Amino acid sequence: MENRKRERPAFNRDIAAAMKKHYSDTRTRKPLAHTLMSSNPLIEVAYAAGIQPAFPENYACVCAARHASPAYCEKAEAHHYTQDLCSYCRNNLGYIHTDDMEPPNGGIGDPDLFLLTSSACSHYFKWWDTLHQIHRKPLVFVNTPRVMDPLNMPDYYVDFAKDEIISAIGEIESILNISISPEKLAHAVHQSDRTVAYWQKLLDLQKCVPAPLGLSDLSNALFVLIVMAGTEEGAGLMEKIYHETSRRAAEGKGILDRNEEKHRLLWLNIPFWYNLKILGYFENRGCAFPMSDYCQYIWGVTRMDSNNPLDGLARKSLEGELNTSLDDHIHRLIEDISSYHIDGVIAHSNRSCRVLSVGVLDAANIIRKELDIPVLVLDGDHADERVYSEAETMTRIDAFLEILGGQ
Amino acid sequence: MHSTLKTMAHVVRNAPSVLQNIKARNGKKMIGYFFPVFPEEILYAAGLHPVQLYPRLDEPITLADDHLQTYLCAYLRAEWDQILKRERSYLDGVIIPRSCEAVTFLFQTWKRHNPFDFIDYLNIPWKNSANTLSFFTKELQRVKKNLEAFIHREITSNALADAITLYNQNRSLLRKAGGLRKAKNPPFQAMDIFNMVMSGFVLDKKEHTRMMTDLLSHIEKPADSPEPSPVRLLLSGGCVLDTRLLDIISTAGATIVADDFNNGARSLEPIVAEGEDPLESLAKAYTTVPCGFNTALKDRFSFLANTIAEYAVDGVLFAINRNCETEKFDYPILDQKIRERFRIPTMLIETDYQCAVGPLQTRVEAFVEMIGGKKI
Repeated sequence: MENRKRERPAFNRDIAAAMKKHYSDTRTRKPLAHTLMSSNPLIEVAYAAGIQPAFPENYACVCAARHASPAYCEKAEAHHYTQDLCSYCRNNLGYIHTDDMEPPNGGIGDPDLFLLTSSACSHYFKWWDTLHQIHRKPLVFVNTPRVMDPLNMPDYYVDFAKDEIISAIGEIESILNISISPEKLAHAVHQSDRTVAYWQKLLDLQKCVPAPLGLSDLSNALFVLIVMAGTEEGAGLMEKIYHETSRRAAEGKGILDRNEEKHRLLWLNIPFWYNLKILGYFENRGCAFPMSDYCQYIWGVTRMDSNNPLDGLARKSLEGELNTSLDDHIHRLIEDISSYHIDGVIAHSNRSCRVLSVGVLDAANIIRKELDIPVLVLDGDHADERVYSEAETMTRIDAFLEILGGQ
Repeated sequence: MHSTLKTMAHVVRNAPSVLQNIKARNGKKMIGYFFPVFPEEILYAAGLHPVQLYPRLDEPITLADDHLQTYLCAYLRAEWDQILKRERSYLDGVIIPRSCEAVTFLFQTWKRHNPFDFIDYLNIPWKNSANTLSFFTKELQRVKKNLEAFIHREITSNALADAITLYNQNRSLLRKAGGLRKAKNPPFQAMDIFNMVMSGFVLDKKEHTRMMTDLLSHIEKPADSPEPSPVRLLLSGGCVLDTRLLDIISTAGATIVADDFNNGARSLEPIVAEGEDPLESLAKAYTTVPCGFNTALKDRFSFLANTIAEYAVDGVLFAINRNCETEKFDYPILDQKIRERFRIPTMLIETDYQCAVGPLQTRVEAFVEMIGGKKI
């Protein structure tokens, strides 16, 4: 699959540098907290407390992109973590048990504690509890509820989430014998909110034709949104990303030229991290990906008021779409398909990400029925490329592109 | 076999028609729910008939494939399939606890397809603290209020207190029956216990309690026999519905003296305090139910360790459904801890909906033979 070389936005180089620094920090800075990514209010708390967070999920993406995940997954399977478990988790459990391989990006350091929330996939609780047992380091757990009816969320949900965060802060202070200053927490929340504000404006720019960024650029920028949430560097970098994208949009510059962008597609679910080249294959056939539910709905959805940081963090922990309902998700998709001028959908039925995949078939059927646009469902996995079939995937994509072209 | 046990077995085998008959007889609305983490006492106090939901195993999954991928739990796919085939017409509503993604999907898709008059979702705490307990109590208050709107009347504290007493009595009888398996030669087979527990998910609780009382009054305390006892196994997993597995174990020369699954010992766990605020008591008791999805490894191991010691278990068989992430995650560490603490053999078998029985049989026989050999 040879792709034409396209000029990517310059900010990707800044993100690569930030990523390099982050991974270096996870090996050199202490205390180190292995931290769950999705809607985790303890990321901002960690930065405010001077704790270096590391993100095993993000590291699994890195390993997948460097084709190291199959070896790590096999190692985890040798320790009885079977193939029907999420490949991010197997990647991580295999990494822990591997000492005869050069780790991508130099690896991540051993944790001093774990920071978990329940606002993502349900089995992450099991994953982190397993890590807690293996490393014998304290686990701080914010047990937020799932919000099935966001418009009618009971008031006590926010209060409960807030109490959970207050209790987690107390636990962290006690474990590390530190004091987390309210001013520093407010500052971290302010920086996180700045990052989210630029991110939301950035996503809006993707409505332009041609789309100024591709899906791989957006996925890269997620690193800044999530991993650097609560830092001045993160907010500064997201501002820079936004301004560059804004310039591109004003100049009518996209990953594809205006006359080259024939179709605008929506990618549902997480990309194949080991095969991002596939996005280039689409680009070479005039298809842009201005949006994906993975980039759009899960993170960076909550604006936070630094005058009331705990309330903001509580809402952050509740409002990410991994923590809400499928109906809400489908409703948003239908609205965004229209506002982003989408004319086709690639839906990844991702065997490792059940929270994003259990509704994929229903979402595909509803989109086909209500919007009359083609939807292609591709079976795969976000990190374990052993279950991905290149030949089958490409055959199906080619057939889909023929239908799309015909339309 | 005692006639009560025969009746219970009939109820389990023919649950859908039994439920239709109950409904025709008493006219009560029926509410289904998943897993023993929902305090069904609230439903009972509301004058509703609670049904813990499990699929039949003799129906190929067809219609559900349009909604749920084959890499998801087959039991939940089967449940959804049977609903699409209109095999739950006796139900008037469902309550879905937060557990795995497939269960949450069922809530959402049921809500969209709207086959029931009542549907609610309950957040179950995944850790025990004053904060989570207070939250869970509020969740129960919310569900109670929604149920009151559904039945157009109040669920009184007295009705709740009576339901708590009845359910405590029922679980106490089931625990007593299970406890008889501590004897060298247990009076009940695993299938008997399975039918006792599962029939309780179908029948009216008063009737089931009466049957359990009658059954236990006819069972004598097992005398110590000079005969060698069979190999004593503990069976652990999410839920065991395929009774062929129980037959295989029995035929192989072992007896299941204890279990750790949702449609077994886990559902007998809550002991609800009486004479206190009913919803607070229910919340406190039900947060101790050691299902896989809501319980930390430390507490799951503690439950297993106590059971292994109390029931003089010779070996542990993990029977885990394919694609059950929750149980699969906990298995490696539980397995390791059991081996380290008790020095007894363990084995994992992967079960699946309508799976071939041959490979299971071979593995179970080898496992039992190995333990039997050791004992001799």
